[in-house]
Amino acid sequence: MKRLRVALAAGAVPIALVIFLWRPTALIYGLQRAGLYASIALPMALVLGIVHIVNLAHGELLMVAAYLSYAGARAFGIDPLFALLPTTIVMCALGVLLYRLTISRTVDGPELNQLILTFGIAMVFGQTVNLIATSQPRKLGLEYVSASATVGEISFGTYDFVFVALALLSFSALHLFLKRTRLGQAATALGQNPRGARIVGIDVQRTYTIVFALSVGLLGIVGTFFMTRFSIFPTVGGSYSMRSFALVAMAGIGNLPMVVVGSVVLGVAEAVIQAIPGAGGWAPLVFFALIILTILVRSFRGGRA
Amino acid sequence: MNRATTGASRRVIAICIAAAVLTAGFPLFAGPYAQTIARSILTYMMLAISWDMLIRSGQLSFGIAGFFGLGGYTAAITAKYLGVPPILTLLVAALVVGLVAALIGMVVLRLRGMYFAIVTLALAEIFRIVMHNWSGFTGGASGMLLPRTAFNGDSTATYAMMLVMTAVVIALSEWFRRGRVHYALTAIRDNEIGAMSAGIDIYRYLIVVFAVTSAIQGAVGAGYAQLFGFVTPESSFNVNVTLVPLAMALLGGMYGTWGPVVGTVLLGVLGEYLKLIVPYGHLLVYGIIIVLVILGMPAGIVGTVQRSFKNGRRSRVAAGGVE
Repeated sequence: MKRLRVALAAGAVPIALVIFLWRPTALIYGLQRAGLYASIALPMALVLGIVHIVNLAHGELLMVAAYLSYAGARAFGIDPLFALLPTTIVMCALGVLLYRLTISRTVDGPELNQLILTFGIAMVFGQTVNLIATSQPRKLGLEYVSASATVGEISFGTYDFVFVALALLSFSALHLFLKRTRLGQAATALGQNPRGARIVGIDVQRTYTIVFALSVGLLGIVGTFFMTRFSIFPTVGGSYSMRSFALVAMAGIGNLPMVVVGSVVLGVAEAVIQAIPGAGGWAPLVFFALIILTILVRSFRGGRA
Repeated sequence: MNRATTGASRRVIAICIAAAVLTAGFPLFAGPYAQTIARSILTYMMLAISWDMLIRSGQLSFGIAGFFGLGGYTAAITAKYLGVPPILTLLVAALVVGLVAALIGMVVLRLRGMYFAIVTLALAEIFRIVMHNWSGFTGGASGMLLPRTAFNGDSTATYAMMLVMTAVVIALSEWFRRGRVHYALTAIRDNEIGAMSAGIDIYRYLIVVFAVTSAIQGAVGAGYAQLFGFVTPESSFNVNVTLVPLAMALLGGMYGTWGPVVGTVLLGVLGEYLKLIVPYGHLLVYGIIIVLVILGMPAGIVGTVQRSFKNGRRSRVAAGGVE
């Protein structure tokens, strides 16, 4: 396992170099995408690793957060980044509600019910937003989003590095939370051995609620930045649920660092395909290839994750 | 089985025959609008039943929209480029989609549960992107027209076509439920390791069932394309095609043919009514139904009614061991 990791890391360097020489911007945009994907996938990995729930409404929660910030920015005529804190707080509250009212009731139930439930929740969010805001795409014309830099002969957009920063920040914060705080350690214990954790007296429902709310709150932050950069519409989140799952599955349940590594692979691969003239439309298939590959590797290794 | 239950089952048979006669004679007394609704109910009914047939083995598929759309495109493509006659496109679509599902199943059914569910959920998006990008062949974003439609779109004949298809699907579902397959699948759902040690080749069974149920969805997609005469990436692979039948099957009750049937008829009529009141948001109701049923009534209407019947009988007979 360790040798494999070293080999992968050693293999990544020449690949990155080749991409850099061929299309430097592909590498840069790939890393920016990786930041976006990681910052969305990390909260999903957190919930799957600790609460053991695949939240199919993950992308829709991102979408809801984006709409909240959009509405806030529009209603008060302020920069959407001022909406960051309120949106995050509202999303945390939504996370608590969602967990207490629905998900907590299926935590001990069959996996199928959990999947159907979160699928239903995803549909409810999508259709509710559709009902209120219609399916028309929305975007704020923010000037700072199109900031760019020129290094030598290459010029590229720089605003998206905000997602890289976001991913690194949320990764470090989660790491510190899980390793250093009492609550985080309890959560980790629950993730590894729910029965054992129960026996030593960890308050399961309380910990799950906090972890779930934390995950939804993180989506509040990402959603706000997402909205500043991309147009939003009610179905914008779905593909991010899928991509996040691909990353979490590839990393293995509970493995946050590998989520970040996987995001880099996915982001750069998509950016490379987009840089090939005429092939750009196929980039959204990369995540699917990644899931299929993961399943093949897992099943032939004989392990059932 | 005592006399009371034979009486009850006779009554059930009588109701079934009455319902069959009513649906068969429907075009005689229903106007074109009612027939449109009936066709859409039959479409959803087939999708809901096929979804249920797979979940009986414990595998949750969100792939309805994907296979439905793929079937529609198969019908359009084979009709346009190979000149396949309209009715035959249904069979071709079933074959192609069944084959695609079998190939996907060979990979994905090695890891089941959430992996399977999410891969199938992604399928609609994947097929949509393929059809969208392969524009020289599929017409890209604007989709493609069918050169001619089944029975030239005659209302009664297409209704009959959907009705025959539905009858086949119901028969298939009942055959699955009564035969060896049923015991194998239930064993897999309840206890995989037990099923394996009883000599059931789980992997192969699941691939077959996944292929058959997906083939049904493909044929339904082809039938739907025949009804409307065109396919587009956005409408054919719309997630609502997964959402609506799933809500119907859940509300009616999983793990049997009649749950999805009851759910489809109920929600089909209700949905049509809702569409008139809230044209853009009526799908919200289906999402809410999914959430409420899972949280409050996981057995669905049919399951709940059956259970209360059983409980009633048990208290009358006062003998244990029935369940």
